[in-house]
Amino acid sequence: MATAELAVNPNLYRRPQESVIDGDHNYRSITDTVCKIVERPRPPQAWYVAFAISSSLTLMLFGLIGYLVATGVGVWGNNAPVFWAWPIVNFVFWVGIGHAGTLISAILFLFRQNWRTSINRFAEAMTIFAVACAGIFPAIHVGRVWLVYWLAPYPSQHLAMWPNFRSPLLWDVFAVSTYATVSLLFWYMGMIPDLATLRDRATTKFRQMAYGIASLGWTGSARQWSRYEKAYMLLAALATPLVLSVHTIVSFDFAVSQIPGWHTTIFPPYFVAGAVFSGFAMVVTLMVPARAYFGLKDLVTPRHLEVMTKIILATGTMVGFAYAIEFFIAWYGGNGYEQFAFINRALGPYAWAYWTMVVCNVVSPQLFWFKKFRTTPWLMVVVCVFVNIGMWFERFVITVTSLSRDFLPSSWGYYSPTAIDVLMFVGSFGLFFTLFLLFCRYLPMVAMSEVKAVMPKPDEADSEARKLRLRPTPAEEPAKPEYVGGGPEA
Amino acid sequence: MSSVAPTTGKTYWRSLDQLQNTSEFRDFLHREFPVAASEFPEGLSRRRWMQLMGASLALGGLAGCRWEEEKIAPFAMRPENRIPGEAEYFATSIEIAGMPRHLLATCYDGRPIKIEGNPDHPSSFGASDALSQATILGLYDPDRSATLRQTEGRESFSRSWQDFEKFARRHFAGLKQNRGEGFHLLVEPSSSISRNELLARLVREFPQAVIHEYAPVSRKNELAGCELAFGQSLRTRLALSQAKIVASFDEDLLVLHPNSLENARGYASRREPGEEMSRVYAAESQFSLTGAAADHRLPIASHKIGLLLAHVDALVRNALNDSAPREALPALPAEAESFAKALADDLVKHRGQSIVAVGPSQPSEVHAIGDQLNSLLRNIGKTIFFTSPSVKPVATQTLSDLVAAMRNDEVNTLLILGGNPAYDAPGDLRFAEALANVSTSIRLGEYEDETSRLCSWQLPAAHAYEAWGDVRSWDGTICVTQPLIDPLLGGKSALEVLALIRGDQREAQQIVRDAVSAAAPAKLTDDSWKKLLHDGFLANTELATVTPSLGASDARGTWIREAAARSETDLELVFTPSESVLDGRFANNGWLQETPDFLTKLTWDNAAIVGPKTAEQLGIKHGGIVTVNAASTTVDLPVFVLPGQAEGSIGVALGYGRSVAGMIGGNVDAGVAPVGVDVNSLRNSQQPYFISDFQITPTDRSCEFATTQDHHAIDTVGLEETGRRVGALVREGTLNEYEEHPDFAQHMTHHPPLESLWEEPTYEGNAWGMSIDLNKCIGCNACMVACQSENNVPIVGKEQVAKGREMHWIRVDRYFQGDVENPSVATQPVACHHCENAPCEQVCPVAATVHSDEGLNDMVYNRCIGTRYCANNCPYKVRRFNFLDYNEDLEDANRELVQLVVNPEVTVRSRGVMEKCTYCVQRIQNVKIDAKNEQQPIGDGEIKTACQQACPTQAIEFGDLNNSESRVAVAHHDARAYGMLSELNVKPRTKYLARIRNPHPKLESTTTSPGGHQGGNHGHS
Repeated sequence: MATAELAVNPNLYRRPQESVIDGDHNYRSITDTVCKIVERPRPPQAWYVAFAISSSLTLMLFGLIGYLVATGVGVWGNNAPVFWAWPIVNFVFWVGIGHAGTLISAILFLFRQNWRTSINRFAEAMTIFAVACAGIFPAIHVGRVWLVYWLAPYPSQHLAMWPNFRSPLLWDVFAVSTYATVSLLFWYMGMIPDLATLRDRATTKFRQMAYGIASLGWTGSARQWSRYEKAYMLLAALATPLVLSVHTIVSFDFAVSQIPGWHTTIFPPYFVAGAVFSGFAMVVTLMVPARAYFGLKDLVTPRHLEVMTKIILATGTMVGFAYAIEFFIAWYGGNGYEQFAFINRALGPYAWAYWTMVVCNVVSPQLFWFKKFRTTPWLMVVVCVFVNIGMWFERFVITVTSLSRDFLPSSWGYYSPTAIDVLMFVGSFGLFFTLFLLFCRYLPMVAMSEVKAVMPKPDEADSEARKLRLRPTPAEEPAKPEYVGGGPEA
Repeated sequence: MSSVAPTTGKTYWRSLDQLQNTSEFRDFLHREFPVAASEFPEGLSRRRWMQLMGASLALGGLAGCRWEEEKIAPFAMRPENRIPGEAEYFATSIEIAGMPRHLLATCYDGRPIKIEGNPDHPSSFGASDALSQATILGLYDPDRSATLRQTEGRESFSRSWQDFEKFARRHFAGLKQNRGEGFHLLVEPSSSISRNELLARLVREFPQAVIHEYAPVSRKNELAGCELAFGQSLRTRLALSQAKIVASFDEDLLVLHPNSLENARGYASRREPGEEMSRVYAAESQFSLTGAAADHRLPIASHKIGLLLAHVDALVRNALNDSAPREALPALPAEAESFAKALADDLVKHRGQSIVAVGPSQPSEVHAIGDQLNSLLRNIGKTIFFTSPSVKPVATQTLSDLVAAMRNDEVNTLLILGGNPAYDAPGDLRFAEALANVSTSIRLGEYEDETSRLCSWQLPAAHAYEAWGDVRSWDGTICVTQPLIDPLLGGKSALEVLALIRGDQREAQQIVRDAVSAAAPAKLTDDSWKKLLHDGFLANTELATVTPSLGASDARGTWIREAAARSETDLELVFTPSESVLDGRFANNGWLQETPDFLTKLTWDNAAIVGPKTAEQLGIKHGGIVTVNAASTTVDLPVFVLPGQAEGSIGVALGYGRSVAGMIGGNVDAGVAPVGVDVNSLRNSQQPYFISDFQITPTDRSCEFATTQDHHAIDTVGLEETGRRVGALVREGTLNEYEEHPDFAQHMTHHPPLESLWEEPTYEGNAWGMSIDLNKCIGCNACMVACQSENNVPIVGKEQVAKGREMHWIRVDRYFQGDVENPSVATQPVACHHCENAPCEQVCPVAATVHSDEGLNDMVYNRCIGTRYCANNCPYKVRRFNFLDYNEDLEDANRELVQLVVNPEVTVRSRGVMEKCTYCVQRIQNVKIDAKNEQQPIGDGEIKTACQQACPTQAIEFGDLNNSESRVAVAHHDARAYGMLSELNVKPRTKYLARIRNPHPKLESTTTSPGGHQGGNHGHS
């Protein structure tokens, strides 16, 4: 029992000004609340139902990938001139979703936003899974999947050449793989103390072994905490530019080409804002049911949700502004091709997609000006689902409408998805939720150690906690310089 | 085939002998394409058969355990004059539905793979058309008939030629005793001297035998028109190169005319802007290429065209104060009136330099009016030449006569040589039904088709590239068809079958040689025969021109009175040969099925073509299905609404809806649905080309077309934008505008100075470039099929075309301009522009498309992984992606024969790879290697791309831009030259020369000149 308390962040002694959690919680109750979800001998029936559905969809996705590889990318609706369609739309969509995690973990960490601690693990997990879903699409999108490794710059006798470093698609490979790697490391590293808690509480040999290996021999010693804090901060600093770079570079895929509707300089900030927008919307969509279902209402409070809706409102307005600026520049720039690209978006054969996007992305988040929408969880979820639909359509509008009508009217076309397109997108949700359900079942959903760090000082009456206090209070010991930057402060 | 010794002197294509003399080669063929029956040993006992089958089964199992072994028998001794991998060239001539085509075949290792026009032949000078380019695919069609089949009652047996010979000897000996009574032959019209001579001999031996001639589309009316006008049946040859004014009445001079290649070349020679530029008028119901190329086109129903011509005739006579009596004519609509006036004005001004041409579907009386007008204008002997028909006609009767005879049980033996009457006979004849009355029907045909199914004998016909024969050019020049390869599927030619029936022991070559020798001015020696084979034609054997004098026929007046009465009819249904499958003979040719119609851009389908106003009146919609009822049959047709179609005229292409064509064109028994709709049943033998006695009713069904342009119905936003852009894409001006500002085309777009971000490469040696003269381009698709043949471009099928995945490396864009009722049409061939700042090269992550040091935009197939980014970034959208395995057919064991058509110089692309026009890099390399070996610089014009070589109007030039003398460099510096989308700073290496129209001053206001008049672009500076 005692070791459980060892996994307490030493910074917990820096008492925050205000609690970020609700309810009458102490360290133990936090540990119990989070660990019990994982330690239950069997998950609730609903979990099984959800897992059965999502894992079937995942199987379908992999089956379809097999069919695709055996038959060719012609199984999709892609054509000339719409050479890129749903798979790329899905890729950008998932990469965007994957933005919230790192933003919450890294940028909010550096900005000392304490409230992040309740949701960062959750959001980071979502990032990893979304990036996994995103990564699948560009890889299977190429015509000869079996040669996709030629994108990697590796010295090869066989090819005797490097890839083309001028191509944004290559930058994309670097950007997304770096992002995936850093996000994974960040997520995993942040989880080590919590994994050790699970190890220590484990009642079976198998769990002990599994969590034991995963927690990399964490003992919670001061030295370890010191190293951990430094590393965590370094990774946060490393991940911060990536939040901006990954979607910037994804936007280069479009912006660097010369297709009217793609070739615009506003794309990098516009894409990043859109990604944060969609990422937060996805976090809310998943968090609201999860907190209710797993009894985390105290840890993820209405205040958390409200802050997130404010971010959604801010980024949604940025996105709306970007839409308007695109039209303005098309008019102001005087380029006939670009003017037509935008008129065609709003009035052409894909106008239905454009207006779906506008309603979902620009109009629906405006509801968050109302307190009621910011504080009623189910209303939030409704708006956030609209935002996610809208963000998918945004990528569809950018990718497909621009390609379908470019320079020569003789080559104009129209794109319609096939059943395979639709089922693969559905399958990617299956994969996402499969991973997510596994995460809920086997890993700590809330970063216990970090939450404890921002909790009020343990109650003096809590004798057990006092008895087990291993280190002097901050008042007795002057703060070491390296802790100053590393600890969360109010 | 017998041997031909190599000719001496300058021969750049070689003789045939190695081909016939090598047994290895025959063996190779035999092994490669086993005709199952022929391989099986005869006289096999049941026991032995079981042993063999058991052993082969066991061995078959074993074979799975190791690599497949392939035995290749090398030449122990190399045949003389054969260098492996070097191409050989042979001249030959063929007839496609009576259209003579003079060709040069490229052969690799004994197999022909590519067809070009014969560069020495005066009628083509190296040009060819889409149909002749595609014949090479027909040679390797695995669906061709490969066995003789005899049907007795309900059973059918595979037979050998020996069996047939035995049968024929007995059967025809019996017939001979009856002097051939009840013996009928059905043949296609042909200018072959040898075939007609054999038929004549046959008639001498079977005096009672009757020969019938039938073609679904023929030029009989033209001959009959001459008969009316001049009292003799004459062939008309036009010299467009001599004509300042060309007026075509329902006649497609440039594509469907038998002499279209010479016509197209003549037309192009008069389209250089300047004093000599011709002016073309076209009055037609269907949009033809000639109409699209014309300076003035009048859409007018086919049945009213005769009256229009009579009007023009009257106006000309008035102007010339001719004394002949005039018939009263009904008034013309205003547009037609001004057209007729302008034309008459031009005709009178240019007497002796004009042509009035009438189409084959017009009745003979209208032809007679045209002939009389030409005579009045003193054109005969200057722009129009008459000769006697090239061969003495042997046929005495028509298909209707045959059907009547069959119905009366007067026919006991029917020999059908070619053709497919069971499919293409007019519906009212009910040919198939009548054929059942014939006890012995023998059919020689390339395919087991609709007709052969009804005959008691089906004999496989040899392809034109497998047999000896002869053809007379349109001017009568004697040309020889020589075999390029042994019959792949054991077929025999019509000559051989006729000889077999007659018991003629001569070989086919001898028959041809004897017949040609007799027709030639001097007897052919061995040397002159060899020279004939080498050249492909016998020079100076054209038929003498005759100058006929007008007869005193009054048919004209009667016809005009009748026509005036009829002209009140509102609707007509016009049957036209398809530009792709013609009368259905090319239905199983995938290249042609996938070649888009030049105007509708429709592939793999025919449709009822209707003008927008008529569609509205009839309440029918684009893509809807209508029911057409005529001659007591009903046919369901999809509707295609086409601007510029004459109002009241519904056009429909023949040649579709074949139910027994093959695995491409439709084979109902094998589960392959017919392509398009068969409309022959709506025709009647009296009026085969246009009818007014029919009903059309809309249904609530609809269909989707597979078009290569406007894949999706264009909305208003798109249409308006297209209208704004076209002027800058296809730049046009009138002759007057050109004379004022020759460089008007270069001032149509505004853009900032085009400076490159990078240092641009310089080219020390060669820098390849292309130019396309839009003033000459007639949009005939010859370049498309030539490219497909040269570059192994796969066909993808109707569904894939409908999805927008066609693979053509060069396409012909078509835009309408102006009035919806009577638009003008602009055509523009587009292939890869090999941009200097190529947008595709920059974005490919794996560097699979890179710039060569001669300026080519190279595509490295084996480096490509198929991200398709390059295609997105290509402003011309010329890149083609292998979404699926489009070359599956080549690997199908049952269709292996198709492999032989593949050009060994060009990679066959796999699935998942991007491809596009390479400027025929293989041809560049071949010439470069030769030049290097000879230590000579590459001369201008030595390298010809496939599209350039095929182009009938020589609109395409290719060569070295570094050589300022080269034709392409001169074209690039022409005042009319412009780069399409050059404002994107991609620096295209292909430039277009602006199109110049030459309108009549009085009609000029109605002609749109988009560059000058349409918004969004800039006028002349």
